[in-house]
Amino acid sequence: MSHNAKFVAMIRLDNVTKIYGKDTVAVREASFDIPKGQFVFMVGPSGSGKSTLLRLMNRQEQPEHGDVWVAGRNINEMPASRVPYLRRTLGNVFQDYKLLLNKTVFENVAFALEVIGKPRHVIERQVPLVLDLVGLAGKRERFPEQLSGGEQQRVSIARAFVNRPLILLADEPTGNLDPKTSEGIMGLLNEINETGTTVVMATHDHRVVNAMRRRVIQLDNGVIVRDQERGVYE
Amino acid sequence: MFSRIGYAVRETWASFRRNLTLTAAAILTSAVSLLLVGTTFLIQRAFENLLVQWRGDVEMIVFVRSDASAEQITLIDSVLRASPTIIDVSKLTYLNKSESYEEAKRIFVGDPVTLSLLTPESIPTQFKVVPLSGDPTLVRSLSDQYRTLPGVEAVALAEDEFQVISTLSNFIRVVTLVMSLVLLVVAVGLIWNTIRTAMFARRREIEVMKLVGATNWFIRVPFMLEGLLQGLLGGVVSCGGLWALNSAWSSGVAGFKPGTGISSLIVPSSYLTSVMLILLGIGAIVGAVGSAIAATRFLDV
Repeated sequence: MSHNAKFVAMIRLDNVTKIYGKDTVAVREASFDIPKGQFVFMVGPSGSGKSTLLRLMNRQEQPEHGDVWVAGRNINEMPASRVPYLRRTLGNVFQDYKLLLNKTVFENVAFALEVIGKPRHVIERQVPLVLDLVGLAGKRERFPEQLSGGEQQRVSIARAFVNRPLILLADEPTGNLDPKTSEGIMGLLNEINETGTTVVMATHDHRVVNAMRRRVIQLDNGVIVRDQERGVYE
Repeated sequence: MFSRIGYAVRETWASFRRNLTLTAAAILTSAVSLLLVGTTFLIQRAFENLLVQWRGDVEMIVFVRSDASAEQITLIDSVLRASPTIIDVSKLTYLNKSESYEEAKRIFVGDPVTLSLLTPESIPTQFKVVPLSGDPTLVRSLSDQYRTLPGVEAVALAEDEFQVISTLSNFIRVVTLVMSLVLLVVAVGLIWNTIRTAMFARRREIEVMKLVGATNWFIRVPFMLEGLLQGLLGGVVSCGGLWALNSAWSSGVAGFKPGTGISSLIVPSSYLTSVMLILLGIGAIVGAVGSAIAATRFLDV
């Protein structure tokens, strides 16, 4: 067990290889540390392995080789029964929002607390706070289909953040949004990052990466080809 | 804790209404199969009443007059024991007055008129005879000989009375049991399918639940409750059906002349109650098994 991983990195990948099927290598021998509170972009073309890296971090996938450490724990050795508790420390945001269409904005966010057994009074306190943070306090009774794409993504971010996760994993969160709306979403992710939450964002959106000037890990065909502080999309 | 229970109940009910047709099909199938199981139990018990005096390979009963003297009974006993090559002496049994009366109470459960004519004093006692020989003519000639003994009231032969019914009863038991087992498997399958459909309809919710860290049990429980409820409702419906069937049967049989064997085909209501409880139990098990398989198998959506 590596003591460095335990105390320094919020996320650590150690020589991780992920193979789909027999011989489709999605990630090859990836190693990096992400310290607590960092904002990191995973960039690269479609199919380069950025989404797989995120899925390895919340144990939606298990690597064929190597170890993934999250908050000091080797999550590949974790028994399946502990995985839900790991996921309570992570927030997930997706390109397609994954909102429940039959629930209101408030209910969508509350759902994340409800299903991990939070009592009603906690839900009644936390959900309005986070809706206020994402700027949707006035639209809590709307249904997702009554919102714009940017607003739906804000709901999804609210749901990911309502339980105050250590890490926010965002997979192409601006993929379906126009530049102006994307800017707003990035501002929100930046705000969340400033509360101390580590943010890992997979994207192939040049503009947002170049505007933010944060750490960039670039992938090509499953291999890390660049890892740069305050980088740009090349 | 309360919010969790509330969640499970709400979700179970919502899903129940969403899949009304499939749910109804699952409930009805389990009801029909359980009804068949229940009917098997009742038919079995009815035949048992009919055959109660012929249990254990008994093929001849020598009825002794209720006023026979002890000497006459001893004489009959020794005559029976005098043919050890034809009669299995080790299985020869004698029912005294109170034992014979207990048996009569079971035989005439649906025929209170006949039963009221019998008292523990007036009832004939009986020797139950298990023959060694498979030759019916040999047994028959012996029975003619016993009829002439002093104190003997009558000699009854299984062949004359219940051989056919006994064969019929075994046949019906096998057929109904096989049919109800097949239907029970179908019921498990249908409940499994309803739950699978319910989970598929909610795959997006399940995906979100898994991502935000709901435990597998939390996700599973509403679906398992739904299956359990379906099986249990099937049990309730089958109990109603069985009760109606049994009432119709009992009142129909009551119309027969007293003293005919048919009237003993009535099942006591305490037995009906225990069969109903068994049906509810089986229903719950069927539902729990079907949904547990589905909920475990299809959680990875």
